[in-house]
Amino acid sequence: MMEKKSLWVFGTRQVVYAAIGAALYGVFSWATNFIALPSIGQISLRPASAIPMFFGIAFGPIVGFLSGFVGNVLGDFLSGWGFWWSWDVGNGLMGLIPGLMAASVVDFRDAKTILKAELFVIMGAVIGMGFSSLMEIPLYGLDFNTAVVGYWVPAGLDGTIMGLILVPILMVAYDAVLKRRGR
Amino acid sequence: MLVAWKYRPRNSLIESLDPRARWITSFLILASVTQFWDIRFLLFFLAIPVAQFFLSRLTWKETRRAWLFVFLFVVVITGVNALIIGRGGASAIKDLEPHVLWEKTWRVPLVGWPITIDITVEKISFGLSQIVRMFSLASLFFVIPWTMDPRKYGVTFRGMGIPYRIAFSMDLAFRLVPTLARDFRVTVDSQQARGYELDRLEGGIITQIRRLAPILVPVVMNAIIGGEDIANAMDLRSFGITERTWIHKLHYRRRDYTLMAFGLILLIASTVITKVYGLGDLWIPQWFIALAP
Repeated sequence: MMEKKSLWVFGTRQVVYAAIGAALYGVFSWATNFIALPSIGQISLRPASAIPMFFGIAFGPIVGFLSGFVGNVLGDFLSGWGFWWSWDVGNGLMGLIPGLMAASVVDFRDAKTILKAELFVIMGAVIGMGFSSLMEIPLYGLDFNTAVVGYWVPAGLDGTIMGLILVPILMVAYDAVLKRRGR
Repeated sequence: MLVAWKYRPRNSLIESLDPRARWITSFLILASVTQFWDIRFLLFFLAIPVAQFFLSRLTWKETRRAWLFVFLFVVVITGVNALIIGRGGASAIKDLEPHVLWEKTWRVPLVGWPITIDITVEKISFGLSQIVRMFSLASLFFVIPWTMDPRKYGVTFRGMGIPYRIAFSMDLAFRLVPTLARDFRVTVDSQQARGYELDRLEGGIITQIRRLAPILVPVVMNAIIGGEDIANAMDLRSFGITERTWIHKLHYRRRDYTLMAFGLILLIASTVITKVYGLGDLWIPQWFIALAP
């Protein structure tokens, strides 16, 4: 059984996991150019969204934030889409907010822990993508309705759906990894 | 499928600048641009990233995909939005008396609700200003992936005051991307050899997403397991006891100070123009208004 962790610690392991999370987010964002994506109607969903959320839950809010922030930068750089700082911060928040429950995680397979993770995933997706979408208003002059309907709803939906389905799968898989390592 | 960074040495003026100076100046210009909606000022700001592009010695062939994305995003989405909806925060266009150039009303069948679309002088002016502003903002950081050495991101961000561990983590992320991309490719090939179909995902939305697990889970878990070895190697080398240095050293030169001074002057001037003199709001030329019937 895992010991409780300190929430804001950023030691050697957290440095490495943040780098791994960011690199994975970047690679999966880039890879969606080549693989089939799940879709609702004409809207494609990105599986990469689950990565910063999982890394936040597993390793803490700082790791979650860096996984999302740096990962989105890397994904955009790899795809040649430039640098969109408001979306980088939003993706960082999408990883940071689920990370706020990291200190309370003892057993990744526990049903209550997974349920709590799902709630934090929803909050992370809504707040993170909300920040990015609403920043379009002062930066680019979009009106509120366009920011909400055109950006917040699809991006938030993408993060929420991906997180709700993939994060528990990753948590269960990570629990198996921990048990094998005796932690 | 190999991942490669887009950077390669070009011996350009832009590359000779200190990357810290480039980032700082870009953010100063970003803060300046966001204060204006007047297209006359925005065109001046647009000239800066355009000049930066040409001074970077980049080619259209290298960057066309990215330009296409920016064009689609800015012109089609934003421009059309402005034309049809025509509202925006800073411009307060809805407070202006509209001068209609074209108008059409449709009625929804059965219920008879009217839907009116009009194109006004104000909407076109706002749309053009918005396009120029977005182009300026988008293209300001555009050249960075092509003109900044990925090996220097860590020392650059450390030099800008970001905590040492976070800067090192960013450096490590850049280093790990090609490795994890290779692992991703190997995993995909392995799963395809076992009958996993990559080209299509069938079933409902939940089933489709769960079918990504055979790719996502092995790649993520193997990366985390490999990360333990990296962390152990770093601990063995006393990482975190004292601050480490980078093999690359950055030194400011006169041109870097000049660049940052330029950005700062631009920001101060922009603030004075907009806040003190009240200029910079949406500009609609009188001759354009006169075109409206």
